[in-house]
Parts: sequence; C-alpha cells; structure tokens
Amino acid sequence: MLRKLTFKNFSIGSIWLWLAIFALIPNLLVLLTSLVEQGDTELIRLQLTFAHYSNLLDSVYLRIFARSIFIALEVTFICLLLGYPFAFILARLRLSERMKSLLLLLVIIPFWTSSLIRTYAIVIILKAKGILNTCLLHLGLIDQPLQLLYTNTAAVIGLIYALLPFMILPLYANIEKLDSRLLDVARDLGANSWQILWKILLPLTLPGIIAGSTLVLLPAMSLFYISNILGGAKTMLIGNLIENQFLAARNWPMGSAVSVVLTLLMALMLLAYNKSRDNNVETDLL
Amino acid sequence: MNKVTKISYCAFIYAFLYIPIIILVIYSFNNAEYSLVWHGFTLEWYRHLWQDNDLQLVTMHSLAVGVLAASTATLLGTIAAVSLYRYQFFGKKILHSLLFILIVSPDIVMAISLLILFSALKINLGFWTLLLSHITFCLPFVAVTVYGRLIGFDKNIFEAARDLGAHDFTIFRKIIVPLLWPAIIAGWLLSFTLSLDDVIISFFVTGPEYNILPLQIFSMVRLGVKPEINALCTVLFVITLFIVCVSQLALSKNKRGVNA
Amino acid sequence: MKKILCALLVALSAITHANSTPTLNIYNWSEYLPDDVLAQFQQETGIHVNYSTYDSNETLYAKLKANPEAGYDIVVPSTYFVDRMIREKMLIPLDKTKLVHFNNLNPALLNKNFDPYNNYSIPYLSSSTGIAYNDNYFTKGSITRWTDLWQQRFSGQLLILDDVREVFSMALLSLNDSPNSTDPQQIANAYATLVTLLPNVKLFNDEAVKAIYIDDDATVGMAWSGDIYLANHANSHIQFVYPQDGYIIALDSIAIPKNAPHLANAYAFINFVLRADIAARISQATGYMSPNAAAVALLPAAIRNNPIIYPDQATLKRGIFQTDAKDASALYEKYLERLKIRA
Repeated sequence: MLRKLTFKNFSIGSIWLWLAIFALIPNLLVLLTSLVEQGDTELIRLQLTFAHYSNLLDSVYLRIFARSIFIALEVTFICLLLGYPFAFILARLRLSERMKSLLLLLVIIPFWTSSLIRTYAIVIILKAKGILNTCLLHLGLIDQPLQLLYTNTAAVIGLIYALLPFMILPLYANIEKLDSRLLDVARDLGANSWQILWKILLPLTLPGIIAGSTLVLLPAMSLFYISNILGGAKTMLIGNLIENQFLAARNWPMGSAVSVVLTLLMALMLLAYNKSRDNNVETDLL
Repeated sequence: MNKVTKISYCAFIYAFLYIPIIILVIYSFNNAEYSLVWHGFTLEWYRHLWQDNDLQLVTMHSLAVGVLAASTATLLGTIAAVSLYRYQFFGKKILHSLLFILIVSPDIVMAISLLILFSALKINLGFWTLLLSHITFCLPFVAVTVYGRLIGFDKNIFEAARDLGAHDFTIFRKIIVPLLWPAIIAGWLLSFTLSLDDVIISFFVTGPEYNILPLQIFSMVRLGVKPEINALCTVLFVITLFIVCVSQLALSKNKRGVNA
Repeated sequence: MKKILCALLVALSAITHANSTPTLNIYNWSEYLPDDVLAQFQQETGIHVNYSTYDSNETLYAKLKANPEAGYDIVVPSTYFVDRMIREKMLIPLDKTKLVHFNNLNPALLNKNFDPYNNYSIPYLSSSTGIAYNDNYFTKGSITRWTDLWQQRFSGQLLILDDVREVFSMALLSLNDSPNSTDPQQIANAYATLVTLLPNVKLFNDEAVKAIYIDDDATVGMAWSGDIYLANHANSHIQFVYPQDGYIIALDSIAIPKNAPHLANAYAFINFVLRADIAARISQATGYMSPNAAAVALLPAAIRNNPIIYPDQATLKRGIFQTDAKDASALYEKYLERLKIRA
C-alpha cells in the first residue's frame, strides 16, 4: 500500500512540480505582463490596463489572426490527408516489429537535420534557376521558368514538409494498436471500403487524428520563418506579429496579450470540438 | 488498396521527405560560396569543416542536450500522460491546461518568460538552463503522443493487475510501459527532433559558454547558406544513418531487441 | 546509456574548461570576426574566448534586457541600439585612457548623434543600405535614387529588406523627410507611399540576400553594401547604388555591457581590434567598411578604391546615421503590420 501511494504521489508530484516551475510561473508572468502598460526605459510600467486587449480588436489584427488560422488549418488538413494513409499502411504492413520501427525511424531521420537548412534545400528546388525549373525546361514541358518561389504555395509546401512527421507519429502509435480483426469482421459482414473507413476506422483512430492534428495545427500557427523564406514574408502571421512586438516594437505587454489571445483562441477551438463530440468517448489530453 | 498502390504511396512519402535531404547532400559539394545554383564539384567545404573545431564542439553540445532532454522529457511526459489517465487528483485540469499552453506558446514568448524565470532564480545561463528549457518544451509533445495511445486501452487491465496484487509501479513497468512502447519511442523521436532544431528558445536561454548547433547554423544562414553548413549536415546525416543501420544489425542478432 | 554518459562528460568538460583560464565572452554578429584573427588574439594574450553570435540588434537587446547578468563582456550593437542602450544604462562608460589605438579611428565616423563623445562605443565596422540591381536586366545608371523604385517597370520584382526601420527609411528619404523621423504625420505619409510601392514588391527578406541577387531570383531592390560587395565577386552584373536622395549608414560599434565579468580582458580585446593591421584584416575578410583610418591605409588598393565598400567623400556625406525612434517605434511597427496585411 505504501509503495502504491509512493509511486502515484511521486508521479503526480514530479509532474506538478515541473510544470508549476517551468510552465505555470512563466505563463503567469506572461499574463501579468499583458495587463500592464508599456514602459519607457524599463519595458513595463506597473499600471493596470486592458488597452492591449482592446487594441487587438483592430481590424488589422483580426485579419492577421484569420489568415494565420486559415493557413494552419490548410496545412493540418493536407498533412492529415497525406499522413493518414501512410501511417495506416505502415502500421498494417506484415513485417516484423523491428522492420516497422526502422521504417518509422526513417520518417524522422530527415528531421534531425536543421529545418532551416532543409527549407533552403526547398529553395534550391523551387527557385527560378532551380532544379525543378531546370528539369521541366529540359523536358520541354515549359519554355519560361515557373515563378514558384515567394508564393503562398511555396510557403504551404514548406510547412507541410516541416510538420508531416508530427502527424504521422501519433497516428501510427494509435493505428498500430487497432485490432485488425475488426476490419476483417466488418468486411465479412458485407461492409464496403467507405463504410469501413467512416464507421470503423475513423471513429476508432480519432484520438490519433486529434493528437496529430494538434501537434501540427498549433506549431503551424506560430512557425513563421518557413513562410518568410519560401513565401517572401509578404504576409504577417501571428508568429511574426508576436515576435515583432517583443523585438522590433519592444512592446512586451502587447506581445504577451497577443500570445494570451492566441492561447485562448486555440483552447476555445478545442473545447468547441470536444463539446460537439459524443460524451461517451473519452476526452483527449488537450 | 492493392499492394502496388500501397508500396508506391509509401515510396512517394519517403521521396517527399528525402528529396530535400538529397539536394542538401549534393549541394555540400557545390563550388560556390553563396549561390544556390550548381557551379561544379568541390571537396573544399569538407576541408573547411574538418578544420572548424568550433563547429564540432557545438555539434557535440547539441547532441548532448538533445539526448538528455529527449530522454528526460519522455520519462516525465509518459508519467504525466499515465497520471492524467489513471488518477484523480488536485489540479488535474490545471495540468491539462499547462500542457496545452506549452504547445501553443510561440517560441519567443516561452523563451523570454523562461529567461526571466532563470534570471529571477539566479541560475547562470548555459548548459543547465538550456537542458531545463528543452525538457519543458518537449514534454507536452510526449504527453500528447503517449496519451493518444493510452486512450482506448481497457482500464480493466490495470484493475485486474491490481486485484492480482501488483503495485502501481509494477503495473507501470510491466503493463503500461510495454503497451505504450511505440508511443514512447515516437515521443522520444519527436523530442529529440525538436531539441536539435530549436533556435529561438535556445538563443535566449543559453549563456556565453555553451553554444549549440542550431544557433550556429541560424546565425551563419543569416549571411547566406554556405555549403560548409550543408557539409556538416551531410556528415551528421551519414553518421545517423550509420548508427541506425549498425543498431539494426546488432538487434537482429538477439531477437527481442529494444525496439520490438 | 553509454551515449548519455559520454554526452554528459562532454558537457561537463566544456563547463570546467572555461573556468580554469582567463576568459572573455564575446557576443557578435556572425562572420564578423575572422577565425584566424580570433586565434591570434587568444595566442597573443592567453585569454580563452567564448565566441557566440546573434542575428539582430533586437534579439541582442531583448536578451540583455531580460537577463542583465547574461555574462557577456563584448557586444557589437548598431547605431540606434547604442543610443537606446546608453539611455537605458545597459552599457559601461569606456575608460579611453586604456584605449591605446583610439586615434586610429576615422574622425568622420566619431562623435555621431547616437553617442556624441564616443564614451560608450567604439566603431567596429560599417555598411550602408542602398539599391542593388542586375545590369543584365536594367541599363547601367538608370537607377540613381529611391524614388526610381516606384517606376512601373519594376512591377513584382523588388526585394525589400525585411526590417521595419529600413523599409520606412527608404520611404521617408524618398519623400525628403528624415529617416529618423518621429513625426506621426511624416510616418503616415511614408506608409501611404509604401502602399503604392506594394505592386512592385516581389519579396521581403533580410537573410541570405546575397544568394537571391547572385542567382537572379531578384534583380533589383534594397541591399546592404557589404552583401553586394561579396555578391559582386560571384556575379559581376550586380551593381550597387548609393541613392542620391540619401541613405542609411549602419555603424556597428563595440561596447561593454553592464555587469561584464571580465572587464580587463574586454579592454585587451578592444585594443587588439583597434590595431591597424588587425582592423585591416577584419575589413578585408568581411567586406565591410572599416572606420579605422590607419587600417584603410594598409588595405590593397583594389579594396580601398572599391566604390561599393569605400565610397568617395561626397557620397559619404549623404549618409545618415540611424537614431532610436523612441516612442515612435510602436507606430512604425503598427504601420508595417498594416502594410503586410495588404500585401
């Protein structure tokens, strides 16, 4: 009994301690900062104000938020579309466990190379005198180089490339435990492929889909250097906005306020999603 | 889907993931300092790299922080996911929210808030502050991945084990961890990846005596991507592949490998 | 497990190593100090240098502001950040009696408005913001001033430096206003004229600008002289223009931050880089203009007379140093946000 208490308390205690120090306190600092005035030489002046939040209602900020969310959703959706079949096939392969984990490892290895350098590799491919244009010109498919770089498409491709494994890994972990006999039974009972997908696969693997989408959607909101390099930095996204507030404008309270609003907004989205689902399905971690 | 479609789909995804890497490797032999167009073959950049002790040291620093941070974050993240799944306790909702906030927080916000925290706690900036920060931002990624697998397991397994007299720690070690193993590995890999790639948080929380690779690369890229960085990435990539292959070969000799 | 232990050992050895010898912690822009110069300093003085780099004044400032005891001995902020850091008491006043080679510096680059008596900062390297173009695409001499960039022939082709002050300096100069303006009306006008420039913009960028010009991904736009000097070696069609309507000179200066732990070593370093032979090597390797007159005299004629890094006196006179925008910073930022949401 004593030992059980010890392990349980140890687990809860250690995780509480860690998050209290490294997450709770820093984020309370952020929240507090968002509620005080910008200082002159001292960055903040201890004077309560809600001005930073009311400023955010400016149509410029609303549009920045809307655009960022749209791009993040687009990227998440495409990652899911690309990643789901891949994770599914990988999980169902009739190979040894070791082979499968090797294949999984191969998914992540490219990502151990600096993402900045990989983004520049994409630049090499897409640029006017780049590899793609050179190939297409040689094949005679085009006679003018395509202007691919510094477009939104390039930015989205870059984001998908950077975030795809964050979709694949949680999906794989979830699909892998699915009992394949369920699918066989369904097929025996006359279900067609679509029915199996909609009625069995998707509901059962929903936790994996949610986990993967979360890990893609949330970073996609604040990852901006990829869209800067590939998209030409012509649009401002929330990530840029916050960074600029902290660095260029030196307005830490405003930057904090944007960050708090971003957090609340994401939380609302997830909450709305959780509410819309059946109550008998267990809730997700987030 | 038939087998050919399946295999070609997987091949397509792997190609998508690896083409930029292959380009990067090829361009590490490019005979041009700043241009990103092919200018001929040279081994010059590898010679540069060989002489650049700084870059080698910085790489070792990065690997050290990456391995330590990923391992600790995986341990803590797994414990967090299991605790949140199994136990009822004070402040459970708050922990949920904190994990969520950690993922959502833009890097710059987390970086500056952690920096102020370390400043307040009077911890010297360097290896330890870097490690603590990396563990913190990796942790929620592990928790989400592990929790994603945990949901849907029949809770009765744990009850049954307890009825049979197993302690919580035994249940954790003998039942939960083996069941979660694929997710734990996935979580570790994600963490290691995040740690090796983090620029903004590391920039703020590290001190003058401890520089790491992503920072070095970031400031070098600022002035133009020199093939020397490509050469370094190539070397690291080849070493990684080599280690993976060797460990796979070693594992195939004893059938119950750790990855199984 | 073995791997982890090894890693730990490496980590620990790095920490202990640094504590045993006299040390200097330099925080500088990347590729701003050639490796061999650094090696020579360590050899001559026996001081071990921890050299780390940053990528922008803003990040340097934020880091020192959030943690004033970060442990750096030497930093190299640019003009208007020197201004700001002095006002916010983040820098230590320099003891000029300890600076033996101070007289090497070009008086034309001393006592500027951001630090009137150079009590806090020592000029290190300098670069200017001008116009770059590729003469394969545009006739030589057809671009001479900022206002030219608004011409319709540049539709969708301009590279604009992705830095709020650079963007607005260009617009303010094109309207004959001061690039250091804090007047809300002038800034609003600058914004209005930038909106009309948007159809010509291909991209905003502030890193790896060289590669973009070298590979013809952009053929005309804003650029820093140091970048174009190096780019010109790889692609001789790239030209640099010091605009007739004025331009910004960036002067990066060495300063010692408050709480610097190794003050004496910091002075040793400043004296070292002020030496004519050393400053000449630094200028030669980086492609930036040296404010060290004695060093310039030592440079090969080909570099000394290169109009991209060392423009003539008449051109230099048009250059303007940036000062801190103070309260107007937020206004600049706000207009940049508006501009970018329109693009």
